[in-house]
Amino acid sequence: MATTANIASYNPREIDNTSDVPGHRAPLITGNQTYHSVTEMVCNVAEAPQPMLWYILFGFSSLTAVMFLSLIAFLLYMGVGIWGNMNPVFWAWPIVNFVFWVGIGHAGTLISAILFLFRQNWRTSINRAAEAMTIFAVVCAGIYPGIHVGRAWLAFWLLPYPSLNLWMWPQFRSPLLWDVFAVGTYASTSLVFWYMGMIPDLATYRDRSKTKMKRFVYSIFCLGWTGSSRHWLRYEKAYTLLAALAAPLVLSVHTVVSFDFAVSQVAGWHTTIFPPYFVAGAIFSGFAMVVTLLVPMRKIYKLENLITLRHLDNMNKIILATGSLVGLAYGTEFFIAWYSKNPYEGFTFMNRAFGPYWWAYWIMVSCNVISPQLFWFKKLRTSPFWMVVICIFVNIGMWFERFVITVTSLSRDYLPSSWGYFSPTIFDGLMFFGSFGVFMSLFLLFCRYLPTIAMSEVKGVMSSDAHAKHVQDELMGVHSHGHHH
Amino acid sequence: MSDHKPKNTTGTKAPKAYGWMAEYPDEHKLLEAARKVRDSGYTDTDAFTPFPVHGIDEALGIKPTVLPFIVLCCGFTGLCLAVTMQYWMNGVDYMYIISGKPMGITPASVPVSFEMTILFSAFSTFLGMIALNKLPRFSNPVFTNPRFDRATDDKFFLYVSASDKYYNRDSVKELLGGTSPDVLDEVVEDGSPAELPKFVWLGALLVVLTGLIPLMIVLNIRESFSEKPRFHVFLDMDFQPKKKADQQTTVFADGRTMRPQVAGTVGRGQLEEQDAFYLGYDPNDLAATVKMTPTRLVSLQDGAAQPPADAPATQPPAATDSAAAPATAPTANATQPPAAAPMPAAEAPEKPWLTELPIEANEANMKLGELKFQIYCSACHGYAGNGDGLVHKRADALAQGTWLPPTSFHIDRVKAQSVGKIFNTISKGQGKMAGYANALTPKERWAIVLYVRALQRSRDAKLDDIPVDKRSSLEEAGSK
Repeated sequence: MATTANIASYNPREIDNTSDVPGHRAPLITGNQTYHSVTEMVCNVAEAPQPMLWYILFGFSSLTAVMFLSLIAFLLYMGVGIWGNMNPVFWAWPIVNFVFWVGIGHAGTLISAILFLFRQNWRTSINRAAEAMTIFAVVCAGIYPGIHVGRAWLAFWLLPYPSLNLWMWPQFRSPLLWDVFAVGTYASTSLVFWYMGMIPDLATYRDRSKTKMKRFVYSIFCLGWTGSSRHWLRYEKAYTLLAALAAPLVLSVHTVVSFDFAVSQVAGWHTTIFPPYFVAGAIFSGFAMVVTLLVPMRKIYKLENLITLRHLDNMNKIILATGSLVGLAYGTEFFIAWYSKNPYEGFTFMNRAFGPYWWAYWIMVSCNVISPQLFWFKKLRTSPFWMVVICIFVNIGMWFERFVITVTSLSRDYLPSSWGYFSPTIFDGLMFFGSFGVFMSLFLLFCRYLPTIAMSEVKGVMSSDAHAKHVQDELMGVHSHGHHH
Repeated sequence: MSDHKPKNTTGTKAPKAYGWMAEYPDEHKLLEAARKVRDSGYTDTDAFTPFPVHGIDEALGIKPTVLPFIVLCCGFTGLCLAVTMQYWMNGVDYMYIISGKPMGITPASVPVSFEMTILFSAFSTFLGMIALNKLPRFSNPVFTNPRFDRATDDKFFLYVSASDKYYNRDSVKELLGGTSPDVLDEVVEDGSPAELPKFVWLGALLVVLTGLIPLMIVLNIRESFSEKPRFHVFLDMDFQPKKKADQQTTVFADGRTMRPQVAGTVGRGQLEEQDAFYLGYDPNDLAATVKMTPTRLVSLQDGAAQPPADAPATQPPAATDSAAAPATAPTANATQPPAAAPMPAAEAPEKPWLTELPIEANEANMKLGELKFQIYCSACHGYAGNGDGLVHKRADALAQGTWLPPTSFHIDRVKAQSVGKIFNTISKGQGKMAGYANALTPKERWAIVLYVRALQRSRDAKLDDIPVDKRSSLEEAGSK
């Protein structure tokens, strides 16, 4: 690419910055970056003409998204009968897809909020893209319950508003209503968090834009940001507060999603392990999706010096940890089914592993439990190709996890006379595939028009790292400076 | 928008000066300069940096923000709102009864309360930050400096405002010049036109007005009356591919949606309409004796006593059983003669009522009849059938005056009734009495008829009616 030739500090070589020598910390970003080179590198993503690959991908994914929207229109016209949902499995793919996407939408806010509170500075290179991914995943997630309610044009009845048509209020003791509040709060708070984080970088885009139109639009969206120190003070305080608010929120969302299942009486759902198990699974799948997206992105847009192997390595370690947690949860479910001596639980879990859906169960186990264990090997953890392969397996496995939980428990519950076997229709498949079109279209537009890396945060970390190194050098024996300011 | 770079500020009049701005290559130089400016006593100062510089607050003397306090208040508001909302909506205004779970605030209220707290806190954090920073502000004098575009990239700016009370143009210039900045510029008024061109306003107005058109159409439709069928955006299952009764169809040659019964088939409940066991009369006999006209059939099925035109009145028009009951009787005494009734209606049955019980008169049926009689009938008619049950006694004691006593079984009119007629009365009711067909099976009703017959017979029984081998036990009982 001709556009990258002018970036002197771009080093396409994969630099291994994953090991820390004692007393000498490996740099978070590589290639001896300056503040300006970081700006150049990030802005180049949006300013340079997009590579042909972008157009191919966007064409394909926007067509898929259009197909998805057309299918939604068809669904609204025909009714949910076009899906395979049928007695006794009324909660089929729409709910599976909802939980799948909401789970993926957990990594972004986790990276932004929890890693921020834990002062994990490596988050700065990846948080923006991860947050964007979160928003887009929650968009995909929100579609499914909305169109699953039957009369989708009345989905706003979920909200507690004074209605002369209904003359009633929602039922606040129902987990499905908690879900409305949890997912709604999560979507809006994540959006605010994402947007607020982008304001300084949008100002950078504004100040670098060449055309009046671009400058106008970016000016509007960055709200006239100047980088004033007074603004920064309140901004940082607001960011910390949002992080502190979003951290319990992100844990609560999948907890509430798990309540949809756990508060019911269905065997295999009615377990107290669900909240932590679901949250671990959500982080697991979310990080897998971040890695799946970021590895190609850093390659295509030549961001290897900002999103370094160290970042990917750290994310893979989190995938390994949460994957092991998920595996532990699978084992615990079986143990409790046996230990409780509850015949229904016992049957449900034997049925999961060896019943008619055995294939789904073993796909889930091999993808979710076995494949992340490969990340014990540093070679695989730091190989972009293999980590993407493993992460795709993880996401396949996590989809199957939700499928196994939802469908196996419903298809064979307490009443053997009403047992059944769920078969999806072509519309189930196309509409799941179509949601990826929406997701990818939004992500590609994000790459093209919005700052993909939090430049101001990366620069802030560069500054404090340099400061820390300076202080450390003084402590390590360079006493000649006397006292530091 | 006025934040684009002015190409040339050499306007007709001298632009207004806002202050001095010095540019530094890194944050350390900026911090040094900021301390120097602060120590010189200037307070209306600011620094513009691409990232939050550590220590700049102290170096410029920036006070902490009240934002956390605002967030605390808003979060608490959200919590209170959520708790009140749930309490009022589910505990007061619309109480759902779900498995007997408690109403109002319960542990199940925690998730929504938590989410609302977070929602309010998060939005107040963002909006509070925006408001305290007085954003959005698109027109800002600092933007007039073309070098200022680097403030969001890699350069660091220190600004002393002309509105500072100690501001002096030359001394500030000298002070900032002494901090070895890369560039020192005076911030001047934006010379470019600050107003949007007229066509932008007109365009925006046009867009807004166009956007209002659909809304106005909807409002108009909602508020006006029309005789046309309503416009269905969503069909809501209002139109279904089925035919209702009395609609036309092209499927059948006769064009009728309702179909006649297919020959040789038996409909649900039809057997009951054809069997004397269920009816109390033999429908075949009825068909043989009565000329069936539609009017006659309907009147028979309704149980009305209107005589058909071809059957001259052999009974008074109002001579139904209930009307025949002695309204003047203070108590339903069995011995009182029904003087008011000249001819009991039962003597001229309009239906060929069964005269023989369709069930066997054995002990089991008698016991069944006794049991069901005592459960269902005795409350009004009394255990002996005198029409003096507890309900009657209670109603009579209340002295309502309008109370019509239950019929005694021992008056001649009832005694003369055939078993089929009594069965019909039990099944369909009579006068104020409701029918018991939904509570009693046909067999149970026939058993009650049997028991009623036994009660009637026992009242006038002679010793000859008792089997010879039982007479001695009766005599023993009587002698005690």
